[in-house]
Amino acid sequence: MSEPRLTALLQAILYPLFGAASLILAWQFLLPALGVPAYIVPTPTAILAIFAKSGALLLSNLWPTAIEALAGFVIGNLAAVILAIVFVHSRFLQAAYFPVVLFFNTIPVLALAPIIILIFGLGMTPKIVIAAVICFFPTLVNMIRGLGSASANEHELFRVLSATPWEVLWRLRFPRALPMLFSSLRIASATAVIGAIVGEWIGSDKGLGALIIQATFNYQSDRLYAAIVLSSVLSISLFVIVVALERRFVRY
Amino acid sequence: MARAVEAQALDVGYAAGSTVIAGLDLAIEAGTFLSILGPSGCGKSTFLRVVADLLEPLRGTIKVLGDDPHEVRQRRDVGFVFQDSTLLPWRTVRDNIRLPLAIGQSRLTRRIDDRTDELLDMMGIAPFALRYPHQLSGGQRQRVAIARALLGEPKLLLMDEPFGALDEITRDRLNDELLNLWRRSGATILFVTHSIAEAVYLGSRIIVLTANPGRIRKDVDLRPLKGDGNRCSREDPKIVAMMAEMRSALEAAS
Ligand SMILES: Nc1ncnc2c1ncn2[C@@H]1O[C@H](COP(=O)(O)OP(=O)(O)OP(=O)(O)O)[C@@H](O)[C@H]1O
Ligand SMILES: [Mg+2]
Repeated sequence: MSEPRLTALLQAILYPLFGAASLILAWQFLLPALGVPAYIVPTPTAILAIFAKSGALLLSNLWPTAIEALAGFVIGNLAAVILAIVFVHSRFLQAAYFPVVLFFNTIPVLALAPIIILIFGLGMTPKIVIAAVICFFPTLVNMIRGLGSASANEHELFRVLSATPWEVLWRLRFPRALPMLFSSLRIASATAVIGAIVGEWIGSDKGLGALIIQATFNYQSDRLYAAIVLSSVLSISLFVIVVALERRFVRY
Repeated sequence: MARAVEAQALDVGYAAGSTVIAGLDLAIEAGTFLSILGPSGCGKSTFLRVVADLLEPLRGTIKVLGDDPHEVRQRRDVGFVFQDSTLLPWRTVRDNIRLPLAIGQSRLTRRIDDRTDELLDMMGIAPFALRYPHQLSGGQRQRVAIARALLGEPKLLLMDEPFGALDEITRDRLNDELLNLWRRSGATILFVTHSIAEAVYLGSRIIVLTANPGRIRKDVDLRPLKGDGNRCSREDPKIVAMMAEMRSALEAAS
């Protein structure tokens, strides 16, 4: 490995590691020394200890949230991609319904969540729906832009080859849209988890959201922090999957 | 002799009212290598787009390979090398050349052979076969675009300033490759260029267009000047004299 690449690697990995480690150390030793009580901010070692002690409980609450977030992510983004394809092929449908979609997007999902729970009950479905709704809009907007981003020259190239609308979609519009699709999928990897947790806050006895609410009311702050750490791990895992897919499909 | 392109009283424009080409009468025999010269903006690209059925004429008639341009496009008998290379950035050089194989092959009645390797060699881009377009120079990109147009073995090849981005040496080499290809295939080529020398060297016939509106200013059959198979030397006094004649025609047209 050459000298400059080694330096780049140091900067990309070691420096952030150093930053994170220094903050965790400060959290572990500085906060207690300053008199911040453990029931407000437990130390990192206390949080680690709760993983050992109540690991089974934490895991059993991780799965429902993970399933809801993942299902919402897939359904919301898929629906957005399909609707974008419809809109790009019908000026009429886009002109008629895109403003309606825009209007719906102005309703905060948090305000919508209770209605979704009223409609779908207390199972996993309403959480999946909330996660899907949260993912849907950014992907729709990005996909409409992306599918329309092929140049006039590129369309002429396909016309000379007498490509069918399906071939234009699959061989031109879709590959053109992929980078924009992935940039909204990266965002959705975090928002899908938010959607699932918000859904659980409002009506559930399972999942990380429910655990967060219970732990808060019972002053079990180490459990609360452990649930937060798990939520973040969930988002990061989704994000890593998205980035891996992006590396695989967007090579240029 | 069969006509590759026959235009009568052709008016072309982008919006009614603004006519780019007016009253064009032009008959091109099959097997012609037609060089098209003309000042910038006179409608050279526009004319090629009408031939390729990318643009409907406002008035007049046009027949391509004896048929309606639309039918010819459906049969994929026309190849087009665009003024900018228009490569797809997510496909490698190789896959860009193979694009005609990826599209509509099942609808075609004739089979297209996969001559990708041959074309990579001919265009001198074999070493870059696995690169993506953004990793190529402008001239390399243009050569990929030419290879892609040739893959479909078109009966009529439309080339819009294909060698504009190349250095002189490569350009001369590709000129000769193109002539060889034309002799072997018997295809008709409409070749737009801003280089008078290139136009005279390549063409079996040459036309000069004027601007506002686009009309034919000069139309010369070059075959009497040239040897068998449209061969000539760039230093031949008759060829040099023809270049000078074309220069003054172009100056008058601008
Ligand atoms: N898509 C378009 N919409 C409207 N006008 C156009 C369009 N394309 C070209 N024109 C106009 O038509 C005229 C002819 O353009 P064209 O591209 O055919 O010129 P050209 O002879 O190929 O020029 P150049 O040598 O610079 O490529 C120009 O005046 C141009 O402004
Ligand atoms: Mg042009």
